[in-house]
Amino acid sequence: MNDLPNRARSISSLRDFLELLEDSGQAITWSDPVMPEPGVRNIAVAASRDANGAPAIVFDNITGYPGKRLAVGVHGSWDNIALLLGRPKGTTIRELFFEIAGRWGDQEAQISYVPEAQAPVHECRLEQDINLYDILPVYRINEYDGGFYIGKASVASRDPLDPDNFGKQNVGIYRLQIQGPDSFTLMTIPAHDMGRQILAAEREKVPLKIAVMLGNHPGLAVFAATPIGYEESEYSYASAMMGAPIRLTKSGNGIDILADSEIVIEAELQLGERELEGPFGEFPGSYSGVRKAPIFKVTAVSHRRDPIFENIYIGRGWTEHDTLIGLHTSAPIYAQLRQSFPEVTAVNALYQHGLTGIISVKNRMAGFAKTVALRALSTPHGVMYLKNLIMVDADVDPFDLNQVMWALSTRTRADDVIVLPNMPAVPIDPSAVVPGKGHRLIIDATSYLPPDPVGEAHLVTPPTGDEIDALSKRIREMQLGALS
Amino acid sequence: MTTTVCGRCKSSGAVTDYQGRQDGAVVWTILRCPTCNFSWRDSEPARAIDPAARSADFAVDAGDLQRYPKILQQ
Ligand SMILES: [Zn+2]
Repeated sequence: MNDLPNRARSISSLRDFLELLEDSGQAITWSDPVMPEPGVRNIAVAASRDANGAPAIVFDNITGYPGKRLAVGVHGSWDNIALLLGRPKGTTIRELFFEIAGRWGDQEAQISYVPEAQAPVHECRLEQDINLYDILPVYRINEYDGGFYIGKASVASRDPLDPDNFGKQNVGIYRLQIQGPDSFTLMTIPAHDMGRQILAAEREKVPLKIAVMLGNHPGLAVFAATPIGYEESEYSYASAMMGAPIRLTKSGNGIDILADSEIVIEAELQLGERELEGPFGEFPGSYSGVRKAPIFKVTAVSHRRDPIFENIYIGRGWTEHDTLIGLHTSAPIYAQLRQSFPEVTAVNALYQHGLTGIISVKNRMAGFAKTVALRALSTPHGVMYLKNLIMVDADVDPFDLNQVMWALSTRTRADDVIVLPNMPAVPIDPSAVVPGKGHRLIIDATSYLPPDPVGEAHLVTPPTGDEIDALSKRIREMQLGALS
Repeated sequence: MTTTVCGRCKSSGAVTDYQGRQDGAVVWTILRCPTCNFSWRDSEPARAIDPAARSADFAVDAGDLQRYPKILQQ
């Protein structure tokens, strides 16, 4: 498998990636009969217990959905993420983090256009009598969800006030609740691109058309899930980060979409209308409330022949959501911090979208790590999400929780803990004082430096570095070889 | 058995959105409550769809739909 980087760059669709995963023992087909509820959820949750090695699961025998296919867990393990990035199974999370962090500015975007008549996504087209339930083998993701959710949709739209601007196209992941055969609600907040576009369209009374892409190039969900500059196209960004071309085509309602996606649902905002939405089991592991959300009417559906509906299990972690967005949540914080403080050596914001983060830093002076922590709170993601920060020295790998616990045990004094009360908070954090407002916690678990009067203990220095990493992998391979 | 009473808000009058079939026979029905928008499949476990078995924490008060906040206001 020496061709892994080339193979990863040649992926242009979900199907390509599932083939790569299957060849690597990272995708399985579930052909035993399974009920939509609770069978699909049970299997997806059981798979996600193995954050390192869980395979993608393709269901092809769901009761009541003969002939339809559903994929879950496509991004559900670090091994699957490694293969997407052209690295072998067993690559450490730390190595994957630096793989992504090292890709910035590395490659140019490669965008090409496919005529609509030749785009696989348009192989089959429905423009009337649309029933989403007849196309998508949906199931209740968590048992008290308010309905059937599409949890892994990449939604593309043009800025309603500047519809000809390619750079102002937005692609983002939003949760969609099916509301009858040809309608769905979309949950967003004013700060997100889609929220801004909905508010603008309703204020100016102009149409807002969207294209909901399902079963996409697996790089899009990884790189389009985290906010980047509004002026930057998510397609260009994803292409540059994958170091690979992305093929676009036009949806029937005039939006740039991926040419090789499995399904695209075209829809239009019902201006000013709101419908009851939720609850939905969200990434903190708790349910959102019931709210009145914008509703979209489906105008057409295109799909490949025998489409694969890709969905996600999300809820109380660890779940696919964590492996899907964790690294690309961490890497921008790292890059932004290093602009001010090159002493930052790694950022682990894998936990619940960064509600807890661990940052390693070379202390410039006593107390410096606290300064870095405060800077982290003012990064774009930190403003709302970084609730608990653990600061460790550069000799601690923030991705190795055993090392982090060692630092907490041996380098933290109780007065090295800072609580910042009544700060902004992500509204769905269940620990908030009131939704949208809560406390921040900084634990400085770095060691002491002058002028601190307490000297550092004389540390034991076990061997570390590439040689030890390689030996560790070799031992694991020998062990696996002995088993097979 | 297909009931048209909503498991979440206990309103009646649910509409049928889709029926799943296996070898030509209907194996389940997806219903939707026009009052609270709850959607369900009649084959789901009782604790998700039966008003007597569902957790009261997830009930919706059909008489007080005003209480649910509207997102994205100008
Ligand atoms: Zn109801």
